[in-house]
Amino acid sequence: MGFAYVLESGKFVVTAEVSPPRGTDISGALAGAGLLQGLVDAVNVTDNQRSMMRMSPIVLCHKLGEMGFETIMHMTCRDRNRLALQSDLLAAHAMGIRNILAMSGDYPTMGDQPSTKPVFDLDSVQLLQLIEKMNNGYDFQDQPIDGHTSICAGAVANPYARPFGPQLLKINKKVSAKARFIQTQAVFDAALFNEFADVAMHIGIPIIAGIIPIRSAQNARFMNEKIPGVKIPDEAISRMETAEDPALEGMRIAAETIADIRTNCRGIHIMPIGGHGNTRRLLEMCGLVG
Amino acid sequence: MLITRPKPIEEILSMLEMFPETSICVVGCGICARKIQTGGEAQVSMMTARLQQRGLDVMDGKMVRHACSTESWDTMVEENPALDKAGILLVMSCGAGVSLLGRLSGKPTLPALDTTSLGSALKDEVLENFCVMCGECGVGLYGGLCPKSGCPKSQVNGPCGGSIDGDCEIWGRECIWIKIYERLESMGMLHLLDGIRPPVNHDRRL
Repeated sequence: MGFAYVLESGKFVVTAEVSPPRGTDISGALAGAGLLQGLVDAVNVTDNQRSMMRMSPIVLCHKLGEMGFETIMHMTCRDRNRLALQSDLLAAHAMGIRNILAMSGDYPTMGDQPSTKPVFDLDSVQLLQLIEKMNNGYDFQDQPIDGHTSICAGAVANPYARPFGPQLLKINKKVSAKARFIQTQAVFDAALFNEFADVAMHIGIPIIAGIIPIRSAQNARFMNEKIPGVKIPDEAISRMETAEDPALEGMRIAAETIADIRTNCRGIHIMPIGGHGNTRRLLEMCGLVG
Repeated sequence: MLITRPKPIEEILSMLEMFPETSICVVGCGICARKIQTGGEAQVSMMTARLQQRGLDVMDGKMVRHACSTESWDTMVEENPALDKAGILLVMSCGAGVSLLGRLSGKPTLPALDTTSLGSALKDEVLENFCVMCGECGVGLYGGLCPKSGCPKSQVNGPCGGSIDGDCEIWGRECIWIKIYERLESMGMLHLLDGIRPPVNHDRRL
């Protein structure tokens, strides 16, 4: 079932993230995604996430589509100018990809090839506008293209960003550029998320909350330091430190967070560290399977 | 004002190695580089001494009034005859100054500095990244704070999601978008941020 249809149905949405390989062998990524069969409404595929070089997500999305998955392809503005973005949108559409998550992208210095030229020819709002134009049969310069795309575009938001004013300015522009849903960065503090959800309620499009089950206290500290927008509270870190089974404790924390934000979002997006081995269990803990 | 930073000495030495047994004159610039102390008298003397210590054939350093603007090479030489005698010019100015001296002198002309942005100096404070020379200035719509230069991702429609406690994830200082928003709010002019801004028209720079 198409993701746009699922969004409109009012169902509580579950999506999960996989990454393309850092090499030519795609089998591991496909096997990892295979663990999500029957669990999720769509699989997100990342685009050189954290500015680390990986295979193009177009290929993995296409292969996952062949396995029966609905996919949401991430598309950043970091690596492509407007010509390349248009080419890849057409290519993605031709390969059966119908959902794109549009974002500016992390800066290259965060990644493994920090001397890379940062492109940022368009920003995420302008990329959403571009997708809407192509959906209507036009290119960025408003010239007709042969056929049109049918892409459900989503956007991202940081629920922790304060003050709200500048953040809401951007979100409102994303909505007016026809974003159909918002996916947030990882939520670890339900109170901060709920504050954000209250303020953003007026936007009128579904908000899908990002969830990362933490694996260890060390892992939590690493993310606080290295991943933009991530902020894991000290309380969660100390629970991880004293837990007998840290991975299980991380899932408990994630399940509690989901329970605390569930009425304030339209779905969750699972971004595990190191594969989806525990995703089924986490969703079972949340009563989100079946 | 052009913002410049000193190149690592190893990089300068490896450029000079390509011109063995040639006399060098270190040239400073009396405008921007002097003001921000990357190419003033003190930096020229220090560079001259460092190269002399390494046994290179270095003449006394010289200052020109503006490396990027002059009547002619003859005018420059009239003020600084040493420029004509040197085999190589090692210039402590922005890229425009190095380029002009290179064109006029007909000698190997090497940069001792890297030019990183267009900025300002306020008393002793150097303010970087005021302008990226996009060719279509819209700074008036942002309360005098240009987001194309003030944001590493050149975001013109609002902040990215990466700020940490209001600070830019890349530069570690306050996100320009928080400053833009607060300034326009205090001026009662937030309506200037209404509507979606288009991307830069790069055609205008040609």
